[in-house]
Order: sequence, then structure tokens, then C-alpha cells
Amino acid sequence: MIVVPSIIIFGINIVKFAVDLGNAYMLFLAVSLSLNLEAGYTGIPNFGKVMFMAGGAAISAAVSGLLAVVILGVNVHGNYNAYIVTVINQVNASLAKNPLLSVELVLLGTILAAAIGGFLGFLASYPAIRLREDYLGMLLLASAQFFQIFLGAYYPLIGGTQGISVPDFFSWAGNGIGVRDVTILGFLTVFAIFVYLYSERVARSPIGRTLRAVRDNEIATRALGKNDVAIRRNVIIIASAISGMAGALLTFQVASIGPGTWDRITWTFYIWVMVIIGGSGNNFGVATGALWFSFLSSGITQVQNALPSDLPIDVNWIRYLIFAALLLWILAFRPGGILPEKSSPTLARRTLSRALEEKPG
Amino acid sequence: MVWPYLTSSIIFGSLFGLMAIGLTLTYITTKVPNFAYGSFVTIGLYTSYSMNRFADFSPYMTAPIAFAIGGASSILMYVGILRPLARRGSSLVSLMITTLAIDIGFIGIFGIYANYLRYSYNMTDSLSFYQLVADFHLLGEQGLLYVAPASLGLITLGLFLLLSLTKFGVAMRASVENPSLARILGINVEKVYAFAWFLAGGFAAMSGAYYTLYSGGGVATGSGLIVEIFAASILGGLSSIYGATIGGVIIGIGENLLTGGGIALLGSWVLDYQKGIPLLIMIITLLFLPRGLASLFE
Repeated sequence: MIVVPSIIIFGINIVKFAVDLGNAYMLFLAVSLSLNLEAGYTGIPNFGKVMFMAGGAAISAAVSGLLAVVILGVNVHGNYNAYIVTVINQVNASLAKNPLLSVELVLLGTILAAAIGGFLGFLASYPAIRLREDYLGMLLLASAQFFQIFLGAYYPLIGGTQGISVPDFFSWAGNGIGVRDVTILGFLTVFAIFVYLYSERVARSPIGRTLRAVRDNEIATRALGKNDVAIRRNVIIIASAISGMAGALLTFQVASIGPGTWDRITWTFYIWVMVIIGGSGNNFGVATGALWFSFLSSGITQVQNALPSDLPIDVNWIRYLIFAALLLWILAFRPGGILPEKSSPTLARRTLSRALEEKPG
Repeated sequence: MVWPYLTSSIIFGSLFGLMAIGLTLTYITTKVPNFAYGSFVTIGLYTSYSMNRFADFSPYMTAPIAFAIGGASSILMYVGILRPLARRGSSLVSLMITTLAIDIGFIGIFGIYANYLRYSYNMTDSLSFYQLVADFHLLGEQGLLYVAPASLGLITLGLFLLLSLTKFGVAMRASVENPSLARILGINVEKVYAFAWFLAGGFAAMSGAYYTLYSGGGVATGSGLIVEIFAASILGGLSSIYGATIGGVIIGIGENLLTGGGIALLGSWVLDYQKGIPLLIMIITLLFLPRGLASLFE
């Protein structure tokens, strides 16, 4: 049996810490890059980020779970939500023997989540094109608030307020300690790197400069013949599709889903914190911001675990205060973030300097 | 059958009206939608809870105290955080995320306070409590049914008199309409704005104190009400105090009566989707009447 080794320093298992940190970081990275695409480059303040993730997560959890049950021929008496708890071990055991099916269902769920996220983004683009930043912020925040309530209220989707177990599509990785986490880390890393490369490619291309132009001066962009309406719509659709995929992968990772996960703190506010700490409008900066955030957050969790459990004060409240204060501090003293946005040259630096040297006269 | 929904319509309509007036006051002075506004309602909830548990105060007696604490916190938020950031040239989006950060910070503070109450005073329901005390009854109806609309009416009337008859009120209007011209005329615009923020926080906390007579609450109750408050304020036009009064009443009545009607006609599941009604009203307003009810009277 394969077992991920553990190295213990000061009572903390460094390997487990690194793997957990990596899993958290990769998801944060993908979602914060997608927010950077919207808010940092294009100037669309998405204060309802969590809604797009939750939409993708809920639909993919429901469909992939149902498909697994149908394909494996497990009897849920025609009522998936009510009986999945009783058969979840049987489903997981079957999935463990069938890696190909598991991976296929993960991929299918993720693609479906992208479609759902993109569709929600398309819906959101209607107000996003027409409304001013402040009205849009209020509308998206309120919509996300309602969406969380909807997830809890609408039983057929993810089993209402209690949430529901999702079949473990990574049980084939083996039951050695930490093996499942490392496998998931592989999937998440591939996903996050893909999102990073895509964001960088967009940012450095002429499209990236158009996005900034839409952000900085919409009227001038329109006068130059760019379709700013279509640009905004496409950015929201793509960023929301990425968020949806991240939501699905998070759900497959924790193998359960409930409305409680999708509040505005973790997947809207914290994502904004990462983007602003790192440097809005700079992909590498945002990746750095997400890393700082993940480190700090995992560190707080470690401290929390080290403290006695009958503490008078819940450490999560302190966590809220720390991140709120951190954000205010950055906004006051380093509004551009750790790595502020850089101007993007229209040509490669070498070509540009050669062109300047060869300037006649 | 419909009567309880009618009374809750009137009570919530009045409370939402008060909250929407406050949100509108913060918006017209700083032009930033205040995402932390719901937490000022929570300040009222916890002031009421604490005063009730420690001194056996009824929420009516607590309301002025809540007003003062909410107003003071609101001034602190404006003078201590938002104004310095705005002076440093923060963008609108930065200021919006600032108010969101303040909201999360408030939730943290309420949580710590609630934990402290539980640990030190053994108040086991401090994180999430039920309706605090039984309200007094008049003509068979709960007192809040009279007090809440009366408060909304008096405050709206008071603001009308302040803004149209007093010199300070005229200075307030001038500071909102044209700050630079007001400054030239020697009006201390900052002081005027701080006063508006004091009133805003006060109204929210006062409604929060009243709220404990009808329903329970917890650390995030106020934050959750932000849907109704935004909807009411946007329906009113986001820049009109009287619009906010009417908007709040419509949202309160719309949410409660439609839910009541829906439960009677379709079944109790409608209750779960209650918050969809203010959201829907907000969306319809933004699509068809983007400048709100106020634009109908211009």
C-alpha cells in the first residue's frame, strides 16, 4: 500500500500541511484569477462570485452523483436524495474499482459546471452591461445571498439545508494515508495552471489591452470601434465558467455539498482579499496574493488545531477580523497591492528598442 | 388567515423603511453603497439582547441607547475608515470592498462578543437567540404594530421638517447637491456628512432593537437583511429619503403579503423563497425604473 510519508516538525506534519495548503491554494488561485479577469482587467465588480461557483458545484454534484448510481446499477428506490446516504459506501466501493468511470464523471461534472457557470454568467451579463458599478455590486451581492437561500430551500437539487453526500470519485487512488489528497492535488494543479496560462495569454494579447481600455475609458474604446458590450459579456461568461469548474472540483474534493459552504465570506470576500493584496490587474500578483492568503489561512487553522478545543472564543471570528483588517491596511497603505499592475508594452521589449534605435533622423 | 401576514407586513414595512432611509443617507453623502449597513442592525439586536439580559430592559427602553451606539459606530466607520480612504483617492470599487470588509469585521466582533457572553455569563443562546420578550398588547394587537409605523412616520416627518425648515437642513441639502459650492459658502460639509452617518447608523440600530420584539437574531442577521434594505432603497431611487420610506413599506408589504398569499394558495414551501420577492422587486426596478419611485414625482 502506498502511503504519503509524514515529516513532523514541532508537532506539525509538514507533508500533510503542504498538501492541504496546495489543495486550498490551487482552488483559490483559479477563482482569484477569474475575478482578476473581471474586476482587475475589465472593471466589472463581481460581488456575487460565490453564486457562480455554487451553481456549477450544485448541478455537477447532482448530475455526476446520479449518473454514478445509474451506471453502477445501485438501487436508490427512485429517490436519489433520500437514499444516497444509505448506499454511499457501496457506491464508493464500486467507484474505487473503476478509476476510468470515476475520472470520466469528474471530467463530465467539471465540464457541466463550466456550462452552468457560463450560463449564470450570461444571465449576469445582462445587468452588468447596463448598470453602474454601485448598482451592479448591490444586485450581485443580493442575488448571491438569495442563491444560497435557494440552495437550502430547493430540496431536489442538493437535499436542502442539510446538504448531501457526493460519491467519492477519487476513492480509486487507494486508501493509504494522504494518497487521495495528493491525487486531487494533481488534478487541481493541472486545472489552476491551465487557468493561469489562459489568463496570462489573455492579459498579454491585444485582447488584454482592449479589456483595460474598456475598464479605463469605455467611451474611447467604443469610439475606436471595439464592441465593449460584447467584451464585458464574454469576460463574465468565461470567468463564471472558471468559477463553476472550481466549485465542482471543490465539491468532488470534499465529497459532500451543502448550502452552508456558499456564503459571501469565503468565496466572495476572501477572493477579493487575494486579488487586492496581490495586485489587481496583474496575474502574477494575484497568484502571489492567493499564496499569501492560503499560507495565512492555513497557519491560522494550524494554530486553531493546536489550541484546546474548549476555548471561550471561536478562532473563526478572529480570522474574520484579521482578514478584514489586512484588507483595510492594504487599501490604505498599498492600494496597488504587493505587485501593482504594470503597463503592458504593445510590442516585445527587444522589438520596441530596435524600432526606437532605427528611428531615422 | 391573512391577518398575521398583514400585521407582519406593516411591522416589517416600517422597519425596512427606517433602514432604507439610513442606507439612503449614507449613499447620498458618500456615493458608496454601504455593504456593512446590515451590521448596524445587528448592533441594535445585540444592544437589545444585552440590555435585556443584564438590566431587564424592554427593547423599547433600549431603542434610544441602540440609536446612540449604532450612530457612534457609524460615525467611526465614516470618519475613521471611509473618509481617509476616499481622500487617498480610492476608487468606488475599492470603497465598496472596504464596506464589505467592515461588515465581515463586524460579524467577527459580534461573534467574539457573543462568545464572551456565553463564557463569562453563561448565556447559552448568545450566538442565536429567539424573540427576547413578549411585547405589550393594545386592542389585541402587539405594540410594535403601532410603534414601528409611528416611528417611521415621525422620523420621515422630522427629516422633512429638518431639511426644509431649519438652516442646518438647508446646509445638509446643499452639501449633498453640490459639496464644493457648499464649502465656498462656509458650510462644514464634513460635519454635515458625519451627522448624516450618525442618523443612518442610529436608524439601523433602532430598527434592530425593535426587531427583537418580533423575531430572534444572531451575529449575521443584519447582514442577511441587506437584500431587503438594498431593494427598498433602490426602489425609492437610492437618493430620495421619502422614496426610501415608501420603498421600505412596499418591500415589507410585498414580501410578507405575497408570502402569506403564496402559502395559502400553493403551500408552505413558499416561505423558503421569501427573500426572492425583494430581489425580484429590485431587479424589476433596475430594469424598468432605474431611478426608482422618486423619478415618478419629479
